[in-house]
Amino acid sequence: MSLIDALPSPSFKRRPWQPNVVLCCLSGSMLAAAWLLNVVSVAPNRIVSGTAFGMVDAIGWPGAALVSLLSLAMATLALMPNVRHYRAVLAIVTLTLLLMPFGLMVAGHWLVDPSLPQARLGIGPAYWTVLFVLLLCLVELRLRLGLSRWWTALLLFGVSVVWWGCAALWLDRLALVQEFQARQGQFYQALMQHMVLVSTAVGVSVVLGSLLAMLMRRYERLQKVAFTLLNFLQTIPSLALFGLLLAPLAWLAANVPTLAALGVSGIGNAPALIALIAYSLLPMVRNTYIALEEVSEDTLQAAKAMGMRTTQRFWQVRFPLALPVLLEGVRITAVQAVGLTAVAALIGAGGLGTFIFQGLGQAAMDMVLLGALPILILALMVDAGLGALADALRPGGRQ
Amino acid sequence: MIELSHVSKTFGDATAVDDITMRVAKGKLCALVGTSGCGKSTTLRMINRLIDHSSGDIILDGQAIEQYDPVKLRRRIGYVIQSTGLFPHWSVARNIGLVPRLLKWSATDTTARVEKLMGLLGLPVEEFAHKYPHQLSGGQAQRVGVARALAGDPDILLMDEPFGALDPITREKLQEELAKIQSRLHKTIVFVTHDMDEALRLADHLVVMRDGRIVQQGTPLALLQHPHDPFVESLLGGLERGLKQAALTRVKDHMTSLGPTLPAQSRIPADFSLRQALSMMLRDHCDRLTVVDQNDVPIGELSLRRIVKEAQWDRTSQRES
Repeated sequence: MSLIDALPSPSFKRRPWQPNVVLCCLSGSMLAAAWLLNVVSVAPNRIVSGTAFGMVDAIGWPGAALVSLLSLAMATLALMPNVRHYRAVLAIVTLTLLLMPFGLMVAGHWLVDPSLPQARLGIGPAYWTVLFVLLLCLVELRLRLGLSRWWTALLLFGVSVVWWGCAALWLDRLALVQEFQARQGQFYQALMQHMVLVSTAVGVSVVLGSLLAMLMRRYERLQKVAFTLLNFLQTIPSLALFGLLLAPLAWLAANVPTLAALGVSGIGNAPALIALIAYSLLPMVRNTYIALEEVSEDTLQAAKAMGMRTTQRFWQVRFPLALPVLLEGVRITAVQAVGLTAVAALIGAGGLGTFIFQGLGQAAMDMVLLGALPILILALMVDAGLGALADALRPGGRQ
Repeated sequence: MIELSHVSKTFGDATAVDDITMRVAKGKLCALVGTSGCGKSTTLRMINRLIDHSSGDIILDGQAIEQYDPVKLRRRIGYVIQSTGLFPHWSVARNIGLVPRLLKWSATDTTARVEKLMGLLGLPVEEFAHKYPHQLSGGQAQRVGVARALAGDPDILLMDEPFGALDPITREKLQEELAKIQSRLHKTIVFVTHDMDEALRLADHLVVMRDGRIVQQGTPLALLQHPHDPFVESLLGGLERGLKQAALTRVKDHMTSLGPTLPAQSRIPADFSLRQALSMMLRDHCDRLTVVDQNDVPIGELSLRRIVKEAQWDRTSQRES
């Protein structure tokens, strides 16, 4: 045999078999979680910790078989990945997400004693795990299928409408729904407060941050000082910062009547806003500064050579080219502020954090969820919305 | 007309441009050639005041450039750079229409001008007007760059290695088109390049720079015949100088009328260069070519002896003068 024959011929090289490991693992863990962990718990009232039930007890053998079938189907399709199989997996994931509230409905119907008005259904670890795994599957599928932001948003919106409808119509036995119904007015008020706090803090820091970033571009010495200070502020734990602001603001309110008349006091909105703005400034200033500095020197030089004046160069070239990165800063700032505002409830600023801390105090986990879940959803919505806006404003469309 | 007399530019202690004197006549193309860092780009950018010169005079149409408002000055000078410097957030049409808009032309005038220039540079309006710079190839982007520079109908065009980043075929095509546009529009052009072939092909006046100084300037033919020093000679291609010179000479200037002998098999159009004629002789193993006009009708002939003798004659006549 000659040397040429001994060399591996490229035509014999076949593409190795590559199953989608991510989806296989995810569907495997979904199956395991559904069988091994508790799906729901039932408690006679909100204080007593409930009795936990597994999948078979909660939704019966047919339900358990359906869940197993769905996850096994996902795993099988993921073993031989191609576009058609990915679409099928996407359909299964969506179907499962849509079926999940009906599972709770069935469990509530079977397990909760209708004669006890206070009896309630709690969501167990298996349920959360499956939900989490399905969302991870969506992330993976979005990448594989190249779905646009809008399609994913539309899909999630559709799913949440179904969930919302189920919760409002049939899931009155669910602990979360009961907590919500008991404090409906309070909930909407807290949600409003939360959003007002976030948007005020973000709005103020966008204005302040942009001004600061522009000043820093002009005066180089300011840049070092400001970044050092903002970096330092960022390292103070949020709770400590709220505490630190308490004394000086209380003193100010006591000694300057006009400030007190404006609502400034040691606790409440004033220290919350100040702390939120202090935290928001760093990402805002950093992104604005980098965005404005990173615009290509060649482009700006060309703008100058074409005879554009300084203000024209700024507003027609530098600013629009910096806008996507700048908006990225707004996005980071806003998402961070949504989370931080939860802590502001501790110093009496209100917002959804109120439910978290009250719930923790009363050891009522469902009440904690009533605060935490909307914060999570709010953060995701802000993230997706501002991300889409930044994409839309990218120069020349998508790049 | 652009005149530079004893112009210098210093950055701190370093001298970038040292006592330059040159003159670009109206409607001519002047190429600044030299190795990188020799101050040719700095010289160019002093003309539209992107850089202010340290000493000497730069005079534009009889007026020192310090007396112009820099913004207004730049609006009447077209500027093309290697990286195109197109605005990535604007469509092709908007990029080209920038200077007319800055000059406050009416919207209809601007649109008409943009469409005219796109036609001139071979960019079909329907296909390209709404594209963004990142959707263009290097050659297309630079066409847009040239169109943008010409949009305000400037008398003067500054080009800083405009075709340096393009592949050889695209580069040659754009050089050809620039020559064609120039023969129609007669702009006063200062063209910076480090590619001597490009300079020889396009320039009416050639300025060779080294370390911020002018080493030699003159017509391309004069430089080829009498390089001032070994540096200029090496820049002009050393041994290949003969061929480069042949490339600048047209066949029709050296052909003889058709003789009584049988015409040669190989045919060459009259406006080809002697270099192409030589290449054809080497390819076809012959020492005679039939020269034809655009309609492929024989109008004369060219022999190898004649080409070699012409070159000799050039040299002797230069020696006598």
